[in-house]
Order: sequence, then C-alpha cells, then structure tokens
Amino acid sequence: MNQRRPQGRNVVTQSLAQIGGCGLFLLTLLAAIPRSFRYLRETIRQLWFVGAMSLTIIMVCGLFVGMVLMLQLYHVLSIFGGTSASGMVVALSVYRELGPVVTALLFAGRAGTSITAEIGLMRATDQIDAMEMMAVDPIAYVATPRFLAGVIAMPLLCCVFCAMAIFGGHLVGVTWLGIDNGTFWSNMTAVVDVHTDIVNGVLFKSLAFGAVVTLIAVYQGFTTPPTSEGVAYATTRTVVASSIAILALDFVLTAFLM
Amino acid sequence: MTDPVRATPDDSTLVRVRGLTTVLGGKTIFDQLALDIPRGRITAIMGPSGTGKTTLLKHITGQMRPDAGEILVHGQNVPGMSREALYKMREGIGYLFQNSALLTDFDVFENVAFPLRQHTALPEVLIRSLVLMKLQAVGLRGAARLMPHELSGGMARRVALARAIVFDPQLILYDEPFVGLDPVALNQVLKLIRTLNQTLGITSVLVAHELAAVQQIADHVFLIANGKVVAQGDPKSIAADGSPWTRQFFGGEADGPVPFQYPAGDYASELGFVGAVK
Repeated sequence: MNQRRPQGRNVVTQSLAQIGGCGLFLLTLLAAIPRSFRYLRETIRQLWFVGAMSLTIIMVCGLFVGMVLMLQLYHVLSIFGGTSASGMVVALSVYRELGPVVTALLFAGRAGTSITAEIGLMRATDQIDAMEMMAVDPIAYVATPRFLAGVIAMPLLCCVFCAMAIFGGHLVGVTWLGIDNGTFWSNMTAVVDVHTDIVNGVLFKSLAFGAVVTLIAVYQGFTTPPTSEGVAYATTRTVVASSIAILALDFVLTAFLM
Repeated sequence: MTDPVRATPDDSTLVRVRGLTTVLGGKTIFDQLALDIPRGRITAIMGPSGTGKTTLLKHITGQMRPDAGEILVHGQNVPGMSREALYKMREGIGYLFQNSALLTDFDVFENVAFPLRQHTALPEVLIRSLVLMKLQAVGLRGAARLMPHELSGGMARRVALARAIVFDPQLILYDEPFVGLDPVALNQVLKLIRTLNQTLGITSVLVAHELAAVQQIADHVFLIANGKVVAQGDPKSIAADGSPWTRQFFGGEADGPVPFQYPAGDYASELGFVGAVK
C-alpha cells in the first residue's frame, strides 16, 4: 500500500489535509484489525517495546510529580490549616488530569517518536515494499500491532503513573511533613469516586490518548518522505501533533465527562 | 511480435502485457507497451536508465497500477485484482529488490525464514532445513546468524535472493541482480539463476545492464526505450541486428535514438556564454 503524504497549498490546508489523511488512515488501521490477529506475536512484541520499556520513565516521573504536588499543596493548604486535605487533592488532580495527560506526553516522547522513526526508516529502506511483495500486509503486520499495543499500554502505564504519584505524595506528606497516615488515606478514599475519577479520568482518557498518540506516530511513519530529513521532520511532527492533540482532547473530554 | 488482439494467454506465456500506458509526473513512461514473457524461460529486460524497467516489474506484481492497459499473469489481469487476489498471486512470485530490502531487525536466517513463517505452519525443524538449504545455495550458510548491517552489499543481495526463492516460486523477478557483485559471486548468482530455471522450471525475468551476463543466461531479451519495445530476440542475435537502437545501446554510444542528455535548455546560454560571444 503506497501511503502518500497529503498535499496542501499553505499551512492551513496542509494541516487540514494531514488531519483528513490521518482520519482515513485510522479507518484503514481499524479495518486491518481482524487480519492482524494472526500477528499476535508481533503485537505482544510491540506491547513489550512501547509498554514495558516505557515503565522506567513513567515510574520516575510519576514519583516526582506526586512529590512536588504534595510539597506545593502542603504549603498552600497550611495557610488555611487544611493540610489534612492535601492527600485527597493530590489524588484527585493526579487521577483526573495529571495522570493521563503527563503519561500521554511522556508516552509520545518515548514511544511515539520511536514508532515514527522505525516505520519511517523501514519505508526508506524498502522494507515495507518487501513485505508487500512477500504477501505480508504492512498495515496488518506493522501498523495495527503498534496501534493496538499503544491503546493497551497507555491505560496500564497511566495506572502505574498514578500509583507512583500517590506513593510520592505519601512519601513527602506523611513521611517527611508529618501528615497523619490515617487522615491521608481516609480523606482520599472518602472523596475519590471510582466511576468519575478512575474509570472516566484514568482509564477512559488514557485509552483515548493512547489511540491518538499511536495513530499519529504510525501515520507519520507511513507517510514519511524516504529521506533522512524526512524521517527527522516526521519524528518532530509526531511530538508536536501529539502534544497539541492530547491537550486539546483533554479539554474536550473533561468538558463532556464532568 | 505476437498478435496483440489475442488477449487470452496460451500455455507458453506466463506474463502477457498489452497496451500498457503509464504516465508518472507528467512523463510518459510506457506508451502502449506490449510484450510476452514465456513460461519456464529466462527473459531479460534491458534499456537505458529511466526507461521504467523497475516500474514494469512493479506493474507485474501489482505494486503500481498503470494508467491503462492490461497485465495478465496466469491469465488474470493484475490491475483489476482485489487485495486478497493480489496477495495470493504474490505468494507465487519471488522479487529481488535493487537494494536487497532485508528486514533490518532480523538476522539473515530469520530474514529468509520470514515468508515461511508468515504463510505456512511448518514445524521449526523443516523451516530450519529449508532456510539452510537456500542459504547454502547462495553460499551464506555460515552467515546465518549475522545481522543485515554486518553484510556487504553483495552478501545482502545473495541473502535477498535466498529469501526470494525460499518458496520455490513459479516466477522470479530480479531487479538489477548483478550490481555490486564480485566476479566470483556474479558467477555463482548466474549459475543459481540458471539452475533454478532448469531444474525447477522457474520463469525468470531479469532487469539488468550487464550485456555479457545477460548473454550467458537469457533465452530472450526485450530492449525497451521511449516507452516501447524497440527490439527483441535471443541475446546473440539482438546485439547484432543492426537497428539504430541496438547499435547505440549495445555499442554504448552517446549519439543515437536515445539521448544521453536529460532534456535541458541550451547549454551555452545556461553557462552565460551567449552574451559574451556576441
């Protein structure tokens, strides 16, 4: 399948053409899902690559986000004597916003770029064409496994991020600043709602972000001009487009889910 | 040339091209091209660079669709095929890419095993023997565990050749198989192509520039220029038929029906000499 980069006369029409091309590519990807079931091993390999290999960065960043959040909140809330609520606020802000958004941004930088660069290079060295000639559908073998891996990995990574953030908050709040351990946990469990915060916040948002980031990454890889500059630009575009898409989509989803 | 009206291929023709017209980027690559590739023979396609020899191979495999015309492989029209039919057909075709196009994440063994793993459920033992047999045939059994980036250009091409023949296809398309091979490897590849053709009856189509190599193995040569077949015949007679096309191409002359220069404006004026002369 020869994916062509959509053309446009100026920045606006070019961006519109890209969004349109991306949408059509999504349909191709989804249509290839049944055919990609026979490449289950490839999907698992990609899951390892984009998911498991991203664990370190997600865990470390989650820990520090939780720690700094607790530090800031403690100092602000201590003015009103409300430090006992800080654990609860950390949990809510992490579950509803920071968890999915920061995980998705990190995921775009860590996994999205490598997907784009990998597919772009495969394209430039005729590997995609070679697969076509060996009667292996590159959409089902290359694109869809990466897309599915991203969609599956993102919610899991987001859960790990949230857990590490709560742990970081606990470390700073309880261990260092001396908030009562019981207060920390009971306030949190009293306020966090499984449906609105965990299902809608963590799982649904990160599922959507995972789909958007990997779609953009795979699409950019497949439409890369086969040059070194082309691959470089495509990788950059993956990060830029993913970041904008994540933050814009976050606003829309929050508005609908609240 | 055979009768162009007869659209159904007889048994002796594996690939039949009729009225093939392709325009790429405003340039006419093929203009009503017609040719027949005989079954079980070695056919060479020659012609000046840029005449679309690789494009012709891509038309035959359905990687590119022509603007008009029909390409019959086993009597089925390739441009009209569904994706499934196209993939089914490609399982019976081996294709050797100009730049080898090995999968860089897999080692040599896995590259050759790739088509087998994708399309068959053969036990590992059988895959192993098949792959090692093909690697032995191209002289690279010892390199089975090397990665593609550790291979020289000529070795990579031989691995790609082993991969192309791993399924014992009925038709193999070789895109520039001799480029970058040292004389020993070249001889081995020539021998291999001939053996595959003679023992298994595999139809081979070569795109090549090396006249000496082509004369050694090809049964039939098509010379393509300006979007048409300008000469054809067996390799000995075609070089001696005396037409201006063959004289220029096989004689390597810059002057003739095929211009050596890519179309351009006036040389002197582009260098800025016109004003100075006046």
